[in-house]
Amino acid sequence: MGKTILTAVGITKVFPGMKALDKVDFDLRAGEVHILVGENGAGKSTLAKVILGVYKQDEGEVFFEGEKMEVSGTKDAIAKGIVAVYQEFTLIPYLSVAQNIFLNREFRTKLGFIDHKKMESEAEALLKSLNCEYINIKAPVKQLSVAEQQMVEIAKALSYKPRVIIFDEPTSALSDREAESLFAQIHNLKKKGIGIVYVSHRMEEFPKIGDRITVLRDGKKIATIGINDCTDHELITMMVGRDVSQVYVRTQNEHKGEALRTEDLSDYSGKVKGVSIVLNRGEIVGIAGLVGSGRTELAQLIYGINPIKTGKVYVNGREMMPKSPVNAVKHGIGLVSEDRKKYGLALGEAIAFNAISVSLKKIFPKFFMNKRKIYDIAKQNVDQLRIVTTSVHKQCKFLSGGNQQKVVLAKWLNFNPQIIIFDEPTRGIDVGAKMEIYKLMDRLAAEGKAILMISSELPEVIGMSDRIYVMHEGRMVDECKRGEFTAEQIGSRMLGLGVGGR
Amino acid sequence: MNGIKTRLKALPPVSWMLVLIIVIFSLASPNYFSLSNFRNILIQATPLMIVAFAQTCIILTQGTDLSLGAQVSFVTVMIVYLAKKGVPLFASMIIAVLLTVLIGTVNGTIVAKGNILPFIATFGMQNIVNSISLLLTSGSSIYYPSYTYRFVAESTFLFVPMMVWICALMFILVWIVLRKTKFGTNIRGLGGNREALALAGISPVKNLIKTYAFAGFIAGIAGIITLCRVESGQPTVASGWEFQAVAATLLGGTSLREGKGGVTGTIFGVLLITIVKNGLNIIGIRSIYQNAIIGSIVLTAIIVDAIIRIRSKE
Repeated sequence: MGKTILTAVGITKVFPGMKALDKVDFDLRAGEVHILVGENGAGKSTLAKVILGVYKQDEGEVFFEGEKMEVSGTKDAIAKGIVAVYQEFTLIPYLSVAQNIFLNREFRTKLGFIDHKKMESEAEALLKSLNCEYINIKAPVKQLSVAEQQMVEIAKALSYKPRVIIFDEPTSALSDREAESLFAQIHNLKKKGIGIVYVSHRMEEFPKIGDRITVLRDGKKIATIGINDCTDHELITMMVGRDVSQVYVRTQNEHKGEALRTEDLSDYSGKVKGVSIVLNRGEIVGIAGLVGSGRTELAQLIYGINPIKTGKVYVNGREMMPKSPVNAVKHGIGLVSEDRKKYGLALGEAIAFNAISVSLKKIFPKFFMNKRKIYDIAKQNVDQLRIVTTSVHKQCKFLSGGNQQKVVLAKWLNFNPQIIIFDEPTRGIDVGAKMEIYKLMDRLAAEGKAILMISSELPEVIGMSDRIYVMHEGRMVDECKRGEFTAEQIGSRMLGLGVGGR
Repeated sequence: MNGIKTRLKALPPVSWMLVLIIVIFSLASPNYFSLSNFRNILIQATPLMIVAFAQTCIILTQGTDLSLGAQVSFVTVMIVYLAKKGVPLFASMIIAVLLTVLIGTVNGTIVAKGNILPFIATFGMQNIVNSISLLLTSGSSIYYPSYTYRFVAESTFLFVPMMVWICALMFILVWIVLRKTKFGTNIRGLGGNREALALAGISPVKNLIKTYAFAGFIAGIAGIITLCRVESGQPTVASGWEFQAVAATLLGGTSLREGKGGVTGTIFGVLLITIVKNGLNIIGIRSIYQNAIIGSIVLTAIIVDAIIRIRSKE
């Protein structure tokens, strides 16, 4: 392990109404991966942003290579060789890959014009070093897949020849294979003596790449420990602040008849090919599959977002033509989308607004609304789901990811649909919030709701589902009941491999 | 073969409409399909074309500049006003263009620093600039003849009218700015992802102001050309051009979202609008119907574009 290159001492950052960081110490050595964990709102991103110069700390100091850092804005941090790979992409959709990588550091010709040729050859070399030579450097990034965009984002960070890289949830958009190749890259960066701060929720990743872990909770540093010096269980306990013996909660329920059935469902893009599934009341059914296997597209077909090419959907035994989400909602179907910011919430609106948005007609069958009633309902949601906020009038964009997801859930709870589709319900949220969502799903199933859960996190699918359908390249390739499957089985089916004799 | 096919597909739908409309007019009127008429069309298209180049830059930043037409009229008025006061014509032109750059800078500052919707800020500016033009001319147009106009409006170079050359130069200028300079990259970034710009250490505010100032400069040039054609300061000569420029830009495939598109498509958009107007005149459709017809074409083109986009998604 190399010498310490970055030290933060006693960092405090106060936002109106909350202390985001409270006297936090942090240090990073050359050639190590230092993982930063904590629930949403624990202060991980705030700490990263202080180091990057996006925020100015109220107290404390940051030292880089022994010298006190006085940065204001990312430009100063970049100049010192501290860069970040953000969770939210910072790419410009209609600029080429090369232009995005070298944004604000464009190569110029003698006449002062942008030297596209040189930029493209440099970008090509960079992507090649990341084993991503298949990415078309001339294409606008808009045309790339999410995973490819993530690699461009990483190439961009590397192009600064950094000493310190901060990764903020880099694998949330990647498939397992892509994540593995990212880890290989991170190992290469370590060897070069680059210090890496790795912000993540995915505990299964930690032993693969981490050297040390720092746990934050409620803005305070709880501990910094070596990766092999603690168990997952201890780690979760430190993060959540209470003992959690079991992550997945699934009380068996009786199934009370069919709620949803699809027959030979296909879409126009060819991503869903002849899929038939059955979903019963009181049941949680998981759909496992790789990114791009057609899971999300299937949900979108049922929910009426994309038009159906062939096939039928039955709700409670009666045929329903999913024309639009409006129609789906009328039939009692709710969708918790994988992209809550885009489809789940009106980010600029208050919690209360979002919480009642689907159920307006139900709550106020007459013409006028009643503010008091909205407030009461939202307040009840906030208490029940333990949404961390100062008020129900707070705009959703100021909430952490886990709390935003809870608002989405509140929205559907108020509407009380009989069928709920969860698409990646726990993406980008912390363990504590995850567990609460699992509990809620279990409770909903116990109430007799039918739940369809789509997830790329296999442990979650296995932990929560009564039955699992496995999708591969748009087809349903397997179906198995709880207790009949192992992770290896489902994993190999997801990859399109056969399972002994089937 | 494949290369040609993809290239044809890459053309905005407006280029197909262009061909279709020329065929229709040619069939409708025997006088239509002639070299002199096409030359006419090009000359007629020039001032709007240049304004549309300016509008394209603004639309790439997800804005619209509704003061561009007013700026063009203002330039014709200002030049004549100054010239009548004894300022040399050439100097008057430079002063007038500097003033539109100033107007653009004010627009940009309000939009960027005040975080105000561009169409609202520039709509206010449109009214102010229009009023100034009307004040300076007491509401009527002021005739001011000069031989200088003829050089721009009537001379040719290599058989191509000088105005078309100027328009081509402006096209090259804007194209190079958008494609080959950091400023152009930033314009696209403003429309695409402002936060990304800021994180890369680029000031969105500064660049937005620069973009509006640049649009003001281009509108100033359009104003000079317009003056050379009408030979007078006319306070309302370009009213409505800002909307036609928006329509032409959208027809040309530039999107109001995400910084998509470019100035090449805008040429087709402007040509379409001009060709329709010219054709309707030739086949004798009364001008009161013309706006409705142009409006329908704009809507059709945008709807066709939307359908193609939705289809390609499915």
